[in-house]
Amino acid sequence: MQRILAIAGLTWKAALRFKLFLVIAVLLILAVVGLPLIIKDDGTAQGFTQIILTYTLSAITALLGLSTLWLACGTLARDIEECQIQVVVTKPVARWQVWIGKWLGIVSLNVVLLAISGGCVFGLLQWRAGKLPAAEQKILREQILVARGSAKEPNNPAAIDADTDRVLQERLKSSAVEKVDLPEVRKQIREQVKAALQIVPPGYERSWKINLGFARDRLAGKPLQLRVKFNSAQKSASGTFGALWMVGDPPKTKYWQTEAPMSLAPDTFHEFEIPPDLFDANGVLTITFANPNQTALLFPLEDGLEVLYPEGGFGLNFARGLGIIFCWMALLAALGLLAASFLSFPVATFFALALLLVALSSGTLAESVESGSVAAGNEETGQAGYSIADIVLIPAFKGVLAVISLVKNYSPIDALSSGRSITWGELGSAFAQIILLVGGAFAVAGMLLFNRRELATAQGTQ
Amino acid sequence: MPAADSNLQSNGEVVVSVRGLTKVFKDFWNRPKARAVDGVDFEVRQGEIFGLLGPNGSGKSTTIKLLLGLLNPTKGHIEIFGHSPRHVQTKSRIGYLPEESYLYRYLNSRETLDFFGNLFHLDKADRNNRAEQLLDMVGLGKTQTRAVGEFSKGMQRRIGLAQALINDPELIILDEPTAGLDPIGCREVKDLIIALAKRGKTVILSSHLLSDVEDVCDRVVIYYGGKIQANGTLKELLAKPDSLRITTPVLSRETLEKVLATIRHDISTGEVRVDNPTQNLESYFLDVVAKAKLAAHETSGAQSGAKVAEYLRAGGDAQQTTEKVLGKLSLPQAAPIEAPKPASKTIAPGADENKLAELVQPTAQPAKPAPKIEAAKPVDLSRADEKLSSLLGGKK
Repeated sequence: MQRILAIAGLTWKAALRFKLFLVIAVLLILAVVGLPLIIKDDGTAQGFTQIILTYTLSAITALLGLSTLWLACGTLARDIEECQIQVVVTKPVARWQVWIGKWLGIVSLNVVLLAISGGCVFGLLQWRAGKLPAAEQKILREQILVARGSAKEPNNPAAIDADTDRVLQERLKSSAVEKVDLPEVRKQIREQVKAALQIVPPGYERSWKINLGFARDRLAGKPLQLRVKFNSAQKSASGTFGALWMVGDPPKTKYWQTEAPMSLAPDTFHEFEIPPDLFDANGVLTITFANPNQTALLFPLEDGLEVLYPEGGFGLNFARGLGIIFCWMALLAALGLLAASFLSFPVATFFALALLLVALSSGTLAESVESGSVAAGNEETGQAGYSIADIVLIPAFKGVLAVISLVKNYSPIDALSSGRSITWGELGSAFAQIILLVGGAFAVAGMLLFNRRELATAQGTQ
Repeated sequence: MPAADSNLQSNGEVVVSVRGLTKVFKDFWNRPKARAVDGVDFEVRQGEIFGLLGPNGSGKSTTIKLLLGLLNPTKGHIEIFGHSPRHVQTKSRIGYLPEESYLYRYLNSRETLDFFGNLFHLDKADRNNRAEQLLDMVGLGKTQTRAVGEFSKGMQRRIGLAQALINDPELIILDEPTAGLDPIGCREVKDLIIALAKRGKTVILSSHLLSDVEDVCDRVVIYYGGKIQANGTLKELLAKPDSLRITTPVLSRETLEKVLATIRHDISTGEVRVDNPTQNLESYFLDVVAKAKLAAHETSGAQSGAKVAEYLRAGGDAQQTTEKVLGKLSLPQAAPIEAPKPASKTIAPGADENKLAELVQPTAQPAKPAPKIEAAKPVDLSRADEKLSSLLGGKK
């Protein structure tokens, strides 16, 4: 461990002596303090706080991410190019220890920089919240500066697939479909099945049964919040649509309902409070929406309706959010070191940035996987072309997407800016998936490549 | 004077064994680009100072990098202390000074030694103690807090040498150790190498400077084009068995002519040469600097260390080294600096009669008598003894 810590300490000394630490810290603090001065908000305290959280945390993630990647590529690749590594590895230190030492140095730098910038964001929010009138402060502390648990109706893709297959079989019995058209027909039927679950036609109602699980025991006597979002194919003159709600399942439970239709805008999230104790003995909360409008409304399966309930304080939740950002940084450090294990500094940086861009724009890969082909569709027939490349690339894309989803499944910035709880379980799972699983794979590959590499082929460039 | 003359341990265990070593550098498409080392075989035994000699690009540094596991051999076999060069624990027995001082420029000299001490798992007290001694030894005791990046090349070599010795290694591999050093530094490094070998350390030295190798090495291999062209002890390689050199104090003309007459009785005149031996430039330079130092002229940068770190001296045979270094130091300093006048004559094949006449002139007509060697000796010996004392920590 002494050897690993000595190498980690070297990264610290380099960062301090070359003033890298100072420059990044100043940039981060400027981003945290400066962004609130130039960004526009909706005029409410909640809106402003949400925007501060979103922008500052995004800026911290971007700045730290890029500096981490650059530093990780540089710390190893430049040691190899400038030949210092030749003196290090001729000492009794295994190459994997050099690799881990470098990673640990970068990661510990990130911990400190993240703590400084995160502390500034937290302090800024608390300071601003303290200057608000008591009523606004109360709303802010109930909706944003809080950690709220979330419950949704289970999204059951297996049930959707089963319904899709049933409808498809019925269609095939009634009319023949060309074999090449089958995937497209199935895709359309699946959209119809999903639409049936999401759309509430005019004059109709739709119920959600949401299980609060073990949280029910702590929620007795506490008001809950509904977070809703819907879309509409048509626009209304006022820009809003009426919404009638009933929460509870009489006579099994108490219930609450809107006296008059709520006026809600489409394509945006709305939050409103509902009275306590409306769920049944099993913790199931029944929510019914009636559509009094002349047009159908669509509640997306993913985020159409959500129940939020108080779970903990903002401080710890914020720290857990930073914890997930830290996991991303640790992964970027491993990616940079992996690239530097077999490439020169500029090429390693380019390679790592290219991989990062692919990961951030995984939508194209997802589209190819969804259409089943990497080739463009035939504009006349509307069908995608299938080729031998698809046989190789589509499974590869699926694998890449699976790995990316392990990392991208976490959204601490969204959660923090909407006052939702990031649980210890989520943080643990992020650590396991991002650092141990994906980062571990990068580390093993990096160490193997570094171990095999001839370290004396470079001539010193210092 | 090569260390082999007094080295009693050169028949020790094999420390480095190289058999059929070949290194071919390849391009991106795996096509052979350069055959840097080609079928090299040699062994290095404990306590030996082994020289790799050759012109630039002959394969010396590549061989060293192969020995250290920094390059992978294309063919052949290397064993260091019976293990592969990549064996991590074996590296705790090796000290390495690369051809350039590849050190972290942002660390100061003390931090540099502390960092490398950590890699050898030395505890803090040990690291501090050794760093202190090594910095004194290499003459950087007064520049401990300056970043290595600000050092001159010579100072970087000195700190590089110090890091190579932080672990008190059994095998020291020095690639061009005197490159960039001033003559005093060169001499100190060579003295240090001899002192280390006397303590049973094995030294592998790569250099294209013939004087470095000649001064310290027991055995050498001479590289050219990646192949070993010659291999053996310096005595074996340099001795001319078909000629003889006799060195004497200055002789009177009559005595000299009697000697020459006797010699000419057996061999022809053209094969006899008589001249004055000269000291080498290094010795002369060192003497000038020593005098200047006595006159207290200040210098900036590295100081002359010339004091072997205490932990490197432990357990050694101080007396043997004393004799060895005394011999090295006293010999060139025996002649006075201001007037390097003939103190002895050498008879060797190829003598010149006119030269002979010139050489005997001072004795025949002493317009200004040459200083006697006997008179100079006490001064020189005390200086040598003083240096020896500081070098090896022996009694004055």
